[in-house]
Amino acid sequence: MEAYLSMEFGRREPLRLAEARSGGRYRTAQRVFETLKPEQVVEEVKNSGLRGRGGAWFPTGIKWSFMPREPKGPSYLVINADEGEPGTFKDRQIMEKDPHLLLEGILIACFAIRAETAFLYIRGEYRAAHDVLAEAIAELEQAGLLGDDVFGTRRRLRVILHRGAGAYICGEETALLNSLEGRRGEPRPKPPFPAVYGAFGRPTSVNNVETLANVPAILERGAAWYKTLGTALAPGNLLFGVSGAVERPGCYELPVGTTARELVEKHAGGVKGGGRMRAFVPGGASTGFLPPEKLDLAMDPEKLKKEGTMLGTGGIVVIPEELSLVDALRVFSRFFRHETCGQCSPCREGAAWSDQVIARFQRGQGRADDFTLLQDIMRGSRGRTICVFPEAFAGPLASAIQHFRPEFERRLEGAAAPGRPAHA
Amino acid sequence: MAVSGSGPEAAKEHPEAFVAAMRELTRRYPARRGALLPILTALQARRGHLATGDLRLAAELTGLSPAEVFSIATFYTMYRLQPAGRFPIGVCRNISCWVNGSERLVATIRDELAIGPGERTADGAFSLAEVECLGSCENAPCLEIESRYFERVTPGRLRELLRELRESALDPDAAVAAAQRTR
Repeated sequence: MEAYLSMEFGRREPLRLAEARSGGRYRTAQRVFETLKPEQVVEEVKNSGLRGRGGAWFPTGIKWSFMPREPKGPSYLVINADEGEPGTFKDRQIMEKDPHLLLEGILIACFAIRAETAFLYIRGEYRAAHDVLAEAIAELEQAGLLGDDVFGTRRRLRVILHRGAGAYICGEETALLNSLEGRRGEPRPKPPFPAVYGAFGRPTSVNNVETLANVPAILERGAAWYKTLGTALAPGNLLFGVSGAVERPGCYELPVGTTARELVEKHAGGVKGGGRMRAFVPGGASTGFLPPEKLDLAMDPEKLKKEGTMLGTGGIVVIPEELSLVDALRVFSRFFRHETCGQCSPCREGAAWSDQVIARFQRGQGRADDFTLLQDIMRGSRGRTICVFPEAFAGPLASAIQHFRPEFERRLEGAAAPGRPAHA
Repeated sequence: MAVSGSGPEAAKEHPEAFVAAMRELTRRYPARRGALLPILTALQARRGHLATGDLRLAAELTGLSPAEVFSIATFYTMYRLQPAGRFPIGVCRNISCWVNGSERLVATIRDELAIGPGERTADGAFSLAEVECLGSCENAPCLEIESRYFERVTPGRLRELLRELRESALDPDAAVAAAQRTR
């Protein structure tokens, strides 16, 4: 299997423009600018079947096709580099090691959607990646690959690097747009969708970093090649993250559909210290927990959906046997309580309330009717808010109770605390 | 209002060139308010937190009311409206760091500095916060100081880091950058 995303991840210092260009980088973008029409690029990406790597898996070419073909005013590309899903660290690798892979994707995407301005919204904590990108953008401006005459084709293009300030919800695309506009990062009601009313009220396509990093290879080698990788409905390679209690945590580029077992055991070297696994998170906090019996599942959006979970960002986290699932769930319930933006009551109250209930279990004071209460909280918040945040906090909650209910029963009031003998 | 600072005259505390650079930032965006987050970030970098005068200056530059700027500044966790330590430490408490012993790092700081999350040392040198996922899961556990990361931190290395920062003669950001390089 040939990597087309992670070639440079082993470097200490980022790949700079001169070296990147001598290796062929920006040749595809140049050919696109010089010889193709925007709709041809959209068509190729549509045919490739590329789907968004930010976690929602929406088809990228289709998203681009919503953008106006004859815009009356500016259209924008917004790059979502607000990577914050716990267990996810792939976009950071691209930006810190190979900024020009992302930037070539940005150039091509801007050409495809007829945008002359791209806003690269990067989470505030990614200061190192921000500094690498700032330098890479300056290199491109100097080389005439950004500016008023890109590749000498008289096209204008600028990339504005924009730092966030700490808010998980800004990874939701319309919250990100509000944040970019200098507002509270609260998701917007849809419609209107960003392609109609996006950044600063203009047509906008919001795309994830890894998604855009896929674009140069698709244009270079074609949609047919791309579809030979991954699954029929989700082609391509994915930057899987494996972290938690494993021997070799890291970012592994493999086709969509690789099994969790291959990732954890072969690539990440198995559970740390030869220990046993209690559970694993398949693709970031909101995808919840699965028991080790599910390790042979293909990491593919369709297969995981059938299991009641999601592929999400592909960030696998291994929980070792010696840790309690109740405590692991509390890490997530506390996280979601902290990160709800608060504008919709069912989410604001539901995230806080479910965290309180989990905290109760953690103290060994769970109540018999708490299981029903948690179901009620999830039912009362899912599908009743502006964005899908309640679906996100319900993911770990529902799966933990479904697969690990006995652990919670041992934390009911009056039950002996786990790990402590009853007579102690 | 829970903000500290010395009132509207704080807007005049900043050098002319800094204010001009901030004004220039507002021109990069289709609407001036787009520059609000970068302006708040730059202001906070100057004194370690946002004082009332800083919020007023940001409001004036972006054409917003100070009340709206306050509402926005309080939304984002990286903005501080109260002074933190010169070295504000954020320990990631999310899943991969938790699995790899982040609680031991918080305990080490408690032992060494006698502060817990949300607290600051009496000499103003350090403050501690528990933060959510920093995107450093493969190098867990991770902590950050003003978004400079320290990865695969052990209690022993954390103690060394605290000592190194305390003894450094550099300004705080340079001291943290130097400590990053020695690791």
